[in-house]
Amino acid sequence: MKTKFNGILTLLLALMVQISFAQEKTISGTVSDETGPLPGVNVIVKGTTNGTQTDFDGKFTLKASVGDVIVFSYVGMNTVERTVGNANTINVTLEANNLLEEVVVVAYGQQTKKSIVGAVTVVDSDVIEKQQVTSVTSALQGSVPGVNIISSGGQPGDNATIRIRGIGSINAEQEPLIVVDGAAFNGNLNTISPDQIESLNVLKDASSTALYGSRGANGVILITTKKGRIDSPTKISIKSSLGFADQAVDYHDLLDTDTYMTYTWEAIRNSNQYVSGQTAAQAGTNASNDLISALGYNPYGVANPVDANGNLVTTNKLWDTDWASHLFNDAAIRHEHSLSISGGSANTSYYVGANYLNQEGSIETSEFERISTRVNVDSKLTDWLNIGFNTSYTTSTQNYPTQSGSSYQSATQWIFTVPSVYPLYRRDETGALIYDNFGKPIFDYGNNLVQALNGSRPALSGENAVGALTNYDVLNNRDNFTANGYAKIQFTDELSFKTNLSYERYLYDGYNYVHNEFGYAANVGGRVSQDRDITTTIVLQNQLNYTKSFGDHNLSIDAIHESNKLKIDALGAQGVGFLPNVKVLNGSTTPENVSGYLTEERLESILGRVAYNYQNKYYLEGTFRTDGSSRFDESVRWGNFFSVGGSWVVSDEEFLANNEVISFLKLKASYGELGNNRGIGYFPYKQLFNTGWNQLDNTGVLLGGVADPFLKWEKTASSNFGADIRFLDDKISLGIDYYSKESVDLIYDKPLAPSTGNESIKTNIGSVKNYGWEFSINSRNIQKDNFEWTTSLNFSFDKNEVTELTQDGFINGTKRWEVGKSLYEFYIREYAGVNPDNGYAMWYKDVLDTEGNPTGEQTTTEVYADASRNYVGKSSLPDVIGGLTNYVRVGDFDLNLLFNFSFGSYIYDSTYAGLMSGFESPGRSASPDLIDRWQNPGDVTDVPLLLQSNNDFNSTSTRFLFKNNYVRLKALNFGYNIPESITGKIGVSKLRVFFQGDNLLTFASHKGIDPEQSISGTTNARSYNQRIMSFGLNLEF
Amino acid sequence: MKKTFIKLSIVFFSTMFVVSCGKDYLNDPAPTDAVTSDVIFGSRTGAEAFISGMMRLLRSQYTDNDSAGLNSIYYARSVKGNDIIQRATWFLYDYANDNREPTYRRTNFTWKFCYDVINQTNTLINGVAASELSDIDKKELIGQGKALRALFYFQLAMEFQHTYSYDPTLPAPPIYTELSLEGKPMTTLQEMYDLILSDLTTAVADLPETRLGKSYINKAVANGILARVYQVLGNWSGAETAARAAYGGNPSSVLDAASYQNGFNDLGNVEWIWGSPQSTDQSNYYWGAPHSHADHYVLSYQGTFFNNDFVALFSPTDVRNMFENGYGVPENDYRHNITTKFAFTFDADHPIIRTAEMILVEAEAKYYNGDPQGAHDLLWALQSNRDMNAVKSTNTGADLLEEILVERRKELYAEIGVEWFDAKRYRRGITRTGNHRVGSAANLLPDDKKFFLKIPQDEIDSNDFIDESVNANR
Repeated sequence: MKTKFNGILTLLLALMVQISFAQEKTISGTVSDETGPLPGVNVIVKGTTNGTQTDFDGKFTLKASVGDVIVFSYVGMNTVERTVGNANTINVTLEANNLLEEVVVVAYGQQTKKSIVGAVTVVDSDVIEKQQVTSVTSALQGSVPGVNIISSGGQPGDNATIRIRGIGSINAEQEPLIVVDGAAFNGNLNTISPDQIESLNVLKDASSTALYGSRGANGVILITTKKGRIDSPTKISIKSSLGFADQAVDYHDLLDTDTYMTYTWEAIRNSNQYVSGQTAAQAGTNASNDLISALGYNPYGVANPVDANGNLVTTNKLWDTDWASHLFNDAAIRHEHSLSISGGSANTSYYVGANYLNQEGSIETSEFERISTRVNVDSKLTDWLNIGFNTSYTTSTQNYPTQSGSSYQSATQWIFTVPSVYPLYRRDETGALIYDNFGKPIFDYGNNLVQALNGSRPALSGENAVGALTNYDVLNNRDNFTANGYAKIQFTDELSFKTNLSYERYLYDGYNYVHNEFGYAANVGGRVSQDRDITTTIVLQNQLNYTKSFGDHNLSIDAIHESNKLKIDALGAQGVGFLPNVKVLNGSTTPENVSGYLTEERLESILGRVAYNYQNKYYLEGTFRTDGSSRFDESVRWGNFFSVGGSWVVSDEEFLANNEVISFLKLKASYGELGNNRGIGYFPYKQLFNTGWNQLDNTGVLLGGVADPFLKWEKTASSNFGADIRFLDDKISLGIDYYSKESVDLIYDKPLAPSTGNESIKTNIGSVKNYGWEFSINSRNIQKDNFEWTTSLNFSFDKNEVTELTQDGFINGTKRWEVGKSLYEFYIREYAGVNPDNGYAMWYKDVLDTEGNPTGEQTTTEVYADASRNYVGKSSLPDVIGGLTNYVRVGDFDLNLLFNFSFGSYIYDSTYAGLMSGFESPGRSASPDLIDRWQNPGDVTDVPLLLQSNNDFNSTSTRFLFKNNYVRLKALNFGYNIPESITGKIGVSKLRVFFQGDNLLTFASHKGIDPEQSISGTTNARSYNQRIMSFGLNLEF
Repeated sequence: MKKTFIKLSIVFFSTMFVVSCGKDYLNDPAPTDAVTSDVIFGSRTGAEAFISGMMRLLRSQYTDNDSAGLNSIYYARSVKGNDIIQRATWFLYDYANDNREPTYRRTNFTWKFCYDVINQTNTLINGVAASELSDIDKKELIGQGKALRALFYFQLAMEFQHTYSYDPTLPAPPIYTELSLEGKPMTTLQEMYDLILSDLTTAVADLPETRLGKSYINKAVANGILARVYQVLGNWSGAETAARAAYGGNPSSVLDAASYQNGFNDLGNVEWIWGSPQSTDQSNYYWGAPHSHADHYVLSYQGTFFNNDFVALFSPTDVRNMFENGYGVPENDYRHNITTKFAFTFDADHPIIRTAEMILVEAEAKYYNGDPQGAHDLLWALQSNRDMNAVKSTNTGADLLEEILVERRKELYAEIGVEWFDAKRYRRGITRTGNHRVGSAANLLPDDKKFFLKIPQDEIDSNDFIDESVNANR
C-alpha cells in the first residue's frame, strides 16, 4: 500500500518539476537578518523549482546562470530578489516584514492583521506541531483566550468539547461552527490530521463571524490546510514518533477486600439494629449469617467469614480481583508517521501530505487508526485566471470498547461498581474455578443459573467488563472525502470574481457485535448491528470583490451568494442468532431490525462586506448576511444578521510616532447580531407521528412531542472592545478584549407539567448573557544567536447570566435557571452533615414564614425530600481559564512547555457519590473514605452510618460537590536539532530528534477523576485522559 | 473581447446554479420518517396505525428495566406483597415497600408513562371525532381510545391515592381530555372514577368483538377493565355482568389447564383475553418482567422467589404448583422456591387479562350479590380444572370470600399484582411471613400510605396549580 502510494507521489512530482539544463555556475553566499545568520531561508531561481535552503549558518550554494533572478524568502521577512551577475557570491540581509502585513484568513477571504477590527486569534502550525493532538481542535486549549476546551476522555479519536466566549445557548448548539478551507464542515473532526493544518483561526466577535450569519453565534473556527508556495523548492518532510501512554490522573481509591467484608457486615448489622429493631447482639449474629447471602459470593471459602462481632475469621482468599489492572491500558502505544511534499513553480504551487496514526486508548483494546491524505494545488493559468483544487481523503477505524457511561459493560463504571470480592473467572459453590472443555477458565458473568453461591452477583449481573472487551466488538469506521475547487477571474485590477464549489462526503459505519455465548445477547445467540450513514455536503459560493484606493481612501467590497445543502442518508440493520466466530449479518438467523431515513437541510444566503480605511490608520467595516433555512416554517424562515466594526491605529498618529515605550497601539470596537439554528433537529417546528411503533404485523405510529410551529432563530447581540499594544520594539505585546454577548429568543425545551403528557416544548424563550475579559501577553524575553526565550500567557474571565425568562424559573437537573443567575450555578440540597445521635445524614431546610416564604433561617432535616433546594453559590463554569507557554532554545536544543489552567469551577462527582453509598445496596464498590463513618452515638463526622436499607444519604447534595481547580502540563516538547555540518553530509537539510509529552503533570484540587469532565460539572464514569510520552524525529530534505 | 466573453461565461455558468435553485430550494426538504395528522385521521387504516403504536407503547422500553411499560407497573405491585420475594436486583425497593418519594424513578415513571398514554388517547379520540370517517368507524376507534384512557386513569387513581372506598373526595391526579400545554389542578377520586366509568361504558357499548388481534381492545377487553374498576368501586352487580361478558360465561370452554405449564408466553392461549405480544424484532428485551425476573433457567435477572407460606397453599397435583428448590438451599433461605411458570425469551408475550381472573371476579361479585352458591360453583369450576384431585370446600360466608381471594393469588401470581390490588381495595394490610429477605420492615398496615406514591417533584416544579403542599402528609 505504502509503496504504491509513494509511486504515485513520485509520478505526480515528476509532472510538476521542470528540470533545467542551462549553462550554469555555482553561486554561494550567506543570508542573515539583524540578529545574525538565518537558517532555513528559501533560495530559488525565479521561475524554476531549482532551489535550496540556507543551512544552520545561513549559508547556501546553488547552481544558476547569469541573468537568472534568485529569490530569497522566509516567513516573516520581506522577500529579496537578486540578479546573477559575474560574482559567484551573493550575501543578503533580510529585513523583518512589518508583522501587521501578515495576512490572516478570515470569513470568506483574507485580511492583513493590521486591518482586522474584530477579535480573531490565530493558532498556527508552530503551536499545533508542539502538541500531540489526535483531534485537531484540542490544540486550541491553553492557546486562545476565551476558549474553554474540555477533552473527551481516554478514547483516541473522540473530539473535545469547545465553548467560545461562554455558553450562548441552552438547548440549541453551543459548539462553534467549523469551517474547513472555506466550507462548513459536517464530517467528524477526527478525520482531519493536525499535521496537514496551516492554521486554526478562532473568530470570536460579531464583526469576524457575522458573515456566517445564522450559524455564527457560537463563534467560528476556520481550519486552513497547508498549501505549497509559488517559487519555492521542493521540500520533503518526514516526521515519525513512537510513544507510550498511561492514565493522566489516578483513579479513586477503592476499599480492599478484607475491609470491604467487615464494612458490609456493619451495614447489615446497622440495618438489623436500627431499621428492623433487633438487639445489638442479635443484629450482629444475623449480619454474620446473612453477609454471604447478601453478597452472593464468598471469596474466603469459609461459611461465615465475618463473625458476630464484625471481625474477619480469616484473611485467606480464593480470589481478590483488581479489576482496574484488567481494564486499564497503562502501556498504550501511539505511533504516528507523516510525509509531506510541497513546493511551487512560477505559476503552480502544491502540497501533498500523508499521515498514518495508530493510538491505543486508556482502556484495553481501545484503539484509533487513521490514514489521511491531502493534495492541494493552486495554479495561475493566465494573468486573469487562477484555479485551485484541494482534496483530501481520510479513512479511520476506532475500536471503541464501551468505557464511559452507565451501560453494564462500561469499563470505567465497572471499576467503581463491582468490588474486588467478585471473581474475574467463574467459580463453583466451593469457590473452585470452572473450566471450559479446553481447560481454560471462563469469565464470570455473575449469573450462573441456579447456583446458590458464587453464582449471582447483585451488581451488573449478566456482564463482565473484562469479558466484554474481547467478547464484544464496537467499531466506528469513518471515511471522509472532500473536494474543493475554485476559479478566480480578475476582470480588472479592482474587480474580481471567484466561484467555489465544495463537496464533502462522510461515511460513518458503526458496527457492533455481541457474543453468541457470553453477555447480554447470549440468549439469542449473539447480535450484530450495523449502521451506515452517509452525510453529503455541497456548498456553492459566488463571490464578487471590488478593491480600490482613492488617494488615502482604501475601499474593499465583497458581494457573495452561498447555497448550502446537507443530506443525511442513514441505513441500519440488526440480526441475532450467530454461529461462533460468525460476525457478519449474513450469518444471522433472525433479523431483529432494519431502519433507514433520509434527511435534507438547506440554507440559502446572500452576504456582503464593505471595508474602508483612511491612510491605513482608521478602519471601518460592515458586514451583512441574510439566511433562509429549511429548519423553520416558511413564514419565519429568513433572518438578517449584520455587524459593524472599527479600529484606530493610534501609534500611527504623530503624537505616538517614535515613542520609545509603546511601539504599537490599536483600539478596536465592534457590534453585531448573529444567529443560531443548529442542534435543534431538522424539522423542530412540526409535530408529527413517528413511524416504527409497529405492533406485530400492523404498522404503528405514535404522536411525537408537541411543537411550536413558529419556532425561529436564536439571536445573539455581541459587542467587543479591544486594544492591541506592543512595547519596547515589539518585545512585549499585549492584547485585551472585553466582550458582551446577549442571546435572545433562546430555543429551549420549556418544561411542561408531565401530566399534560408532554414533558417539554421547544420554543423561543428567554435570554442569556455572556460577558468577560480576555488577555493575552507575549514576550520575547531573550533573543540571541544561541539563546532564545519567549513566553506567552493568556487567560480570560467569563461570566454567564440568565437575563430573561417567561416564568420564574426552570429546574434542570442539578441547576435551576432564573433571571440574574448563571445557567451553571448548582441548585441542589445542602448537606448538613451527620446527626451525631443516630448517624443519619441531614440536609438544610428553609424555615418558612406564614406565607410560605423562606425567612432566611435554616433547620436540618433527615428527610431528603423535605430539604430545600437552594443556589449554593458554586458554578460549574470556571472563573478563569487560560494557558502559559514558554519556549526556550539554547544552541541546538529547544524546549516548549504549555500549561493550561482552570480555576473557580465546581464539579459534582457522582462516581464518588456511588463509592460513598455506604452499602445501601450490597455488593457495590466502596471508598476507603468510609473509614470516617458514624459508628456510635455521639460520633461527630460527615460520613453517615453504613446502612443496608434504602436511604438518601448519597442523594444529590453539596456533599459531593467539589472545587475543581487544576493546572496541567498539557504539552512538553524537547528537541535537538542535529547541526547542518553533520546532516549536510547526508543530504538532509534538517534533522531533529524530540521528546513529546502530553498531560505529563496534573495538579488538581479534586482527586480521583480527571478535572476535565463536562461543561455542566457533572460526571458520567468517563474513561481517563491519557498521559502520553513519545520520542520522534523530524527529517527534511 | 474574446477574453471578456470567456470571463462572463464562467460567471454566467456559476450563477446559473443559483438561479436554478429557485423558491422550492428551501421548501423541498421534508421529514421522511414521520407523517402528519391528515394521514392518520384521513382513513381508518391511519387511525388504526396510531392505535397499534399505542399498544406498542404499552410494552416499550420506557425509562429503565423496572419502569418499562404496563408490565412493570404490575410487577412492582406483585413484589410488594407477601407471596413473592425479590432478590436485591431491579424492583428491590418496591419489594421493600420503600419506593415512593417525589424524586424516585418509580414515582416519576408511573406518572409520566400513564399521562403519556393518556395524551396519545386524547389525540386519537379528538382527532377521530373531528375527522370525516364514518360513524361506525368513529365509534369503534374512539371506543378503543376511551377504554385505554380509562385503563390508565385507573392506574393513576390506584397508584396516587388511597382506594376509592377510603374517601372519594381525596385529591387525585389532574384530568385531561384534550391537549393542553398548561398543567391542571388536582381533581378528586370521585371525578376520576366518573370519567373512567363514562369512558368504559361508552367503550363497552360501542366496541365490537372483532379486533385487529389479541393485543387490541374489543368489547370483552373493555368489559374486563370495567370489571376490575367495579371491584374497586364495590359495584358488584356491574362487576358480575362485566366479568361474565369478558370471559363469555362458560368457564369450561375458556380454561385449558394443560396450557398453564407452557411458559405463559403465548398470546394465542384460549385463556388470554388480552395481552401484549412480543417478537424477536419487537421486543423490550430484558425489560420484560415478570418473565425476565421469574425464569431462573434462562440468562436474565433471576430475581423472583416465592414465600414458603405461599407455596404451601398449593397441592402437589395443582398444575399451578410449578415451584421447586432450584438452588438447593435450606428452607429458611429466601431462595428456597422458584417457579417455572414463566419462560423468558425476547419474544415472550405478556398476559394482561385472563379468563380465570374474570371467572373469579364473577364469583366474588356473585358472593356479594346474594348468590354464594353460584360463587362457590364458579370457584370450583376453576379449582377442579387446575387440580384433578381437588376437593370442593365446605366454606361459606366470609370463609368463602377468603377462599376466592386466595384462589386469585394462586391463579394470578406474579402477573398483575393481584395480592396488592386486593389488599388495597379491601383496605387490608400486608403482613410479611415466612422466609422473606425483607420481612416485617416492609409490612403494610391497612390503609397504609405506602399503598400509594407521592406526587412527582417534576410535576410540582412545572405545574402552576400544584405546589409542595400536595405531598404534605402523603
